[in-house]
Amino acid sequence: MIRLRAVTKVFRDADREVPILRGVDLDVAAGELVAIVGPSGSGKSTLLYVAGALDRDFGGEATIAGVPLAGLSAEGRAVLRNRAVGFVFQSFNLLQGLSAIENVMLPGLLRRDGAEPRPAIRARAERALADVGLAEKARQPPARLSGGERQRVAIARALFAEPKVLLADEPTGNLDAVTGEGIIRQFGELARAGLTVLVVTHEERVSRAASRVLHLADGRIRP
Amino acid sequence: MTRARGLLWIAVASLRADRRGALVNAAAACVGAAALVFFLALGLGISRAAHRMFPADARLVDVVPGTVALGGVLGGGRLDDETAARLAALPGAAAVWPRLSLRVPVAAPGPPRGLDYNWPPGMSLQIPVVGVAPELVKGDVGPGVAFEDPGPGSDRPIPVLLSRRLLEIYNKTIAPAWGVRRLPAGLSIVGLELPVKVGYSIVPQKTEDRVYVARLKLVGLSDRVPIYLLAMPLATVRRLHAEYGKDDQGYTEVTILARQPEDVPALTAAVRRMGLSVDEGERATAERVGTVVLVTTGALVFLAAVMCALAALAIAQSLSASVRGRTKEIAVLQALGAAPSDVRRIVLAEGAIIGLAGGIVGAALAFGAALLSDRAAIALLPDFPFRPDTFFAFPAWLPALGLVVPALAAVLGALAPAATAARVDPARTLS
Repeated sequence: MIRLRAVTKVFRDADREVPILRGVDLDVAAGELVAIVGPSGSGKSTLLYVAGALDRDFGGEATIAGVPLAGLSAEGRAVLRNRAVGFVFQSFNLLQGLSAIENVMLPGLLRRDGAEPRPAIRARAERALADVGLAEKARQPPARLSGGERQRVAIARALFAEPKVLLADEPTGNLDAVTGEGIIRQFGELARAGLTVLVVTHEERVSRAASRVLHLADGRIRP
Repeated sequence: MTRARGLLWIAVASLRADRRGALVNAAAACVGAAALVFFLALGLGISRAAHRMFPADARLVDVVPGTVALGGVLGGGRLDDETAARLAALPGAAAVWPRLSLRVPVAAPGPPRGLDYNWPPGMSLQIPVVGVAPELVKGDVGPGVAFEDPGPGSDRPIPVLLSRRLLEIYNKTIAPAWGVRRLPAGLSIVGLELPVKVGYSIVPQKTEDRVYVARLKLVGLSDRVPIYLLAMPLATVRRLHAEYGKDDQGYTEVTILARQPEDVPALTAAVRRMGLSVDEGERATAERVGTVVLVTTGALVFLAAVMCALAALAIAQSLSASVRGRTKEIAVLQALGAAPSDVRRIVLAEGAIIGLAGGIVGAALAFGAALLSDRAAIALLPDFPFRPDTFFAFPAWLPALGLVVPALAAVLGALAPAATAARVDPARTLS
């Protein structure tokens, strides 16, 4: 489901180039929950954004959900992200001006093909929120939700489009232990249901729940 | 739900999240729209009023005998049927209509029939008359009446036409000054009959040997009738001249109808080459007034356009700050499936919504301000001739323009912020 071959990534400063990824090979199959661990600045998030078709300026080959990213236009990558990839971020990244349900509706509103009527999008968003136990908080703005609730809204948003790949960047980083455990448990269930889950973390409890743990150091993956 | 509506929904949601900024921007667009609609409506209204006051037809050329006539040498000077035929043959001339001043005096010894009129005892009103071709005024003759000579010995009244402007001046200045009754406006006075004495002059030496009583019947109002004259059929004037033995002195004036306004300068030059003159008094006044109105309106519209441009700049600045402040939100939208082109459209839609909202409120404010201005004008200004009921004109396209211009200005203002938003690198922003 995720296939990376010899992926390289260089950050360019004013007068120098800093290599972040130095030929990463990675395969993640459907139904796998893979954790990538490594020290801060090791390129974990960069790898995640390459795998999520958010970063286009990299070397090597990447194929996501059967779609090779090479030569894909900006619109093509957007469609891929919309239909096949779900993102969960450490800081939740909910749009503050929108309610919980409106945040969840966003992927439906951005859909290019097979667009649904807004009531249908809203109904599906309500179900997605109910699935994460937040049906009664649908109209609340993110500011009135706890950290755990915000992350569950973010998960509902990521799963709204029924993606094939779920990419999570430090998903428990801002959560207390109990809430974090709940999120990890949910990721495990999603993987068992067939979703490909790639989690970037430096937390051991996440690693323990993963089917595979990969270490990223010096821009290279080591098992 | 179509994708465009989805993006529009996101744009509305973004504006809702920053209500204060959106309101300030919409207020800027509103001021521009209000100024544009108000000043344009004022210019159009004043222009309409000026046209009523000076209803010069851009296609008419009034030819009069030359001040220095060489007669048979160049064929100019006198306006007769032969000259009229030569004028009709000029390139660009669609028709010619002669006018002939009546040299038989006509006076009204009393008021029009059927009007309870405060006519001063013993007063006779001398009536200057011009004969005109019926074709010249055929569009101004009222329904059910005809503008044709009743013939010699007929007991039918002589049809006449009156200048609309004379009626207005009479009602607004003469009638109040004399303390006499005003005449009803418009075609409701068609059919009014005025007993007259043909051959009678208030200057005794000019009274003809034969004076008889006749009736004039008003058959219409026309802007093609000189302001202080009554118009009779040309045939009636000729008949009266024959009855009273007046010699043929040629036409007083010949009006040429140009095929199109652009033909007028060439026609005027050709007329002058024939040794004739062109009476440009009315046309020149109308053109001067029109130019003044146009220049004033243009200046005010330019001012409004500057205000719209300033609104666009304010929106550009505000939206730029807004985009800089929500780069992370833009990156999240991209992560959820928005392409750079979608992000650009969302920001442009925000600009368009701001402009449209400002335009709707601005156009409504302009309409309200126009109503208030009209009420104030009616309350404060004296009732002078040609005073319009409203100083504003709101053609259907004007409110639409009031929406489109600020919306376009706002979209133009949103172009740079939209480009900035589309350049947001989601991977770098979310890292």
